[in-house]
Amino acid sequence: MGVTDELLKVDGLVVSFATEEGEVEALDGVDLAIREGSFHGLIGETGCGKSVTGRSIIRLLDNNAMIKAGKILYKGEDLLKLSERQMERRIRGNEIAMIFQDPSSSLDPVFNIRSQMAEVVRMYHNARRESYDAIIAEALRSVRLPDVESLMHKYPHQLSGGMKQRVMIAMMLACNPHLLIADEPTTALDVSIQAQFIKVLRELKEELQMTVVYITHDLAVISELCDHVSVMYAGRIVETSAMRELFKNPVHPYAHKLLNSVLGVQTNLDDLAEIPGTVPRLINPPKGCRFHPRCDQATEICGRERPPFVALDDDHHVACHTR
Amino acid sequence: MPALLDVIGLTKHFPSPSGAVRAVDGVDLQIHRAHTYGLVGESGCGKSTLIRTIQRLLEPTSGQIIYKGQDIAAYKRAQLRTLRKEMAMVFQDPHMSLNPRMTVFDILARPLQIHGIARGKDALTLRIVHLLQKLGMQSEHLVRFPHELSGGQKQRIGVARALAVEPDIIFLDEPTSALDVSVQTKILKLLENIRKEWELTYFYISHDINLVRVVAEHMGVMYLGKIVEVGRTEDILRDPHHPYTVGLLQAVPEPDPDKPLGELQLGGEVPSPVNPPPGCNFHPRCPHAWDVCSQMEPELRMLSAEWSVACHRYGDDARAAPSR
Ligand SMILES: Nc1ncnc2c1ncn2[C@@H]1O[C@H](COP(=O)(O)OP(=O)(O)OP(=O)(O)O)[C@@H](O)[C@H]1O
Ligand SMILES: Nc1ncnc2c1ncn2[C@@H]1O[C@H](COP(=O)(O)OP(=O)(O)OP(=O)(O)O)[C@@H](O)[C@H]1O
Ligand code: SF4
Ligand SMILES: [Mg+2]
Ligand SMILES: [Mg+2]
Repeated sequence: MGVTDELLKVDGLVVSFATEEGEVEALDGVDLAIREGSFHGLIGETGCGKSVTGRSIIRLLDNNAMIKAGKILYKGEDLLKLSERQMERRIRGNEIAMIFQDPSSSLDPVFNIRSQMAEVVRMYHNARRESYDAIIAEALRSVRLPDVESLMHKYPHQLSGGMKQRVMIAMMLACNPHLLIADEPTTALDVSIQAQFIKVLRELKEELQMTVVYITHDLAVISELCDHVSVMYAGRIVETSAMRELFKNPVHPYAHKLLNSVLGVQTNLDDLAEIPGTVPRLINPPKGCRFHPRCDQATEICGRERPPFVALDDDHHVACHTR
Repeated sequence: MPALLDVIGLTKHFPSPSGAVRAVDGVDLQIHRAHTYGLVGESGCGKSTLIRTIQRLLEPTSGQIIYKGQDIAAYKRAQLRTLRKEMAMVFQDPHMSLNPRMTVFDILARPLQIHGIARGKDALTLRIVHLLQKLGMQSEHLVRFPHELSGGQKQRIGVARALAVEPDIIFLDEPTSALDVSVQTKILKLLENIRKEWELTYFYISHDINLVRVVAEHMGVMYLGKIVEVGRTEDILRDPHHPYTVGLLQAVPEPDPDKPLGELQLGGEVPSPVNPPPGCNFHPRCPHAWDVCSQMEPELRMLSAEWSVACHRYGDDARAAPSR
């Protein structure tokens, strides 16, 4: 991957959480390179570290988090070196914005939609107060919300789950960020609204050249939107490749299983691949390759040494001893 | 053979300041013993209300629910207790549906005690351990609280609780939508094996048409309180007839880069169940609607022995309809 067109590069990121039971090694050397203008998918089982990766990039981790090593280079600058004040003033919102997994927790129940969005517009737009309403209405329309004039004056509890999610999306889009991190933005939406959202994102990609990191476990949505995909397993990236290549030819044994466990590819319950075992606990995770206890191709070295993340070609990286 | 469950003209309205919420508005459906039925439809169309009303967890406004030949819609309160043992339910969100202050043992012991299936610590433990094993869990989980279990394990407990009373029919309301694909697959397979072994009947609700495709032989499509199409899942998914079913299926993305989503047919918002549109309540969003659609409500009509559609394009007035 050419160095020049990289907007974001996460390099060897290690993040742990302090808990009563011990230290949770949530991210263990995450490497990610996101190209300017690309839609980069991030997939993997629940608990593998997708949200922690996204929150690390925008530096909004829980209080018990410790960033132990690594760099997060955004336009060449290491975000981990910035102060909280610099993050807030220069990065969050106008450069990088994030749509969080749970929309109800990120909308304030006490304020109506208009005032919450006006706050965003005030921070990230160089606009006169009189034009706020027009900017807000435009953003709400862009996510196909109906009847935006009356909607602006509603409070979060007056909206359905799907509508709240769209308001969140509109709010993030009103920031007009360079890089958008979208964490499971469509889980509360039913298929017809999800399909509209996919269309809106595709248009934004064309019009605004926005770069998006898209976190989900819905592979169908990935196949609609993304040009590149990274597969995560237990705190590490195990494979990164062009989207089509990954769907055609997943190389890592875990990626292979994951792609074959998807409803829609297989139409018969018996044909669905099961990934044996469960996601490992991240307190004392398995040594070597973290997938080895569940892998049917594991050899002796897999339990001993961590497989390096190697390039199969410019666009395809895998961490597996057998490849 | 008569159906296990025969729902006729079932209606459930909720009072509200702006008028009755017609959540379930004249639903007919039949479920046969040892079959799996899948119900799909947009958020808010009345799916959860329908199955809660069928179980008499909500009071029906009108209609009949013939279960094993008896109209349970007319059951008095005292008679409902027997139903709780025959009909069980698995909820969408395992985090919400399990009491956080009860251990796994207590959660599973409660229905067994209420229905007098097992008494005494030993008998209870025996049964519960057996249940857990059936679901791929161990006795070490007995003393755990819900927050000490993963999402997939919690949902197994939800399933175990439903199975504990040895019901005839289990209603599953989005049982796997909070879980990721690999956990989902495990639970679906488990449920299917148990169904075969115990000859259970399942009624699934899901947003996920691909899930219904793999689990259900028969399916229904619901729109704004009404069933608009029912039939064999295979038939409906291959050749959907109702314009709403067509639009719904078109909006389902496939996990295949070579099959992108096409132009969307289902625009607009779901109308309010307080003021549903007259005639066919889908007509404002329907690409095929013509005069009669806004004037007359289409009946659910049989296309063939196992396939019915509620749409004027397949009715007697179809001659006037724009061609399909
Ligand atoms: N504040 C915290 N304290 C302790 N552990 C945490 C904390 N936040 C996250 N973790 C742990 O870090 C790991 C990664 O969590 P993360 O939320 O990133 O998973 P995810 O891939 O987003 O999963 P999902 O698909 O369920 O959203 C998990 O094991 C989780 O339990
Ligand atoms: N207790 C209640 N009082 C008033 N209205 C209600 C009540 N319960 C449900 N409704 C309304 O009835 C309609 C149907 O709701 P229901 O929960 O059955 O939908 P659903 O199809 O299960 O949707 P989802 O897919 O989002 O779960 C909605 O308009 C809802 O707002
Ligand atoms: S009855 Fe008319 S409006 Fe309703 S679905 Fe059929 S064609 Fe469309
Ligand atoms: Mg997450
Ligand atoms: Mg529901």
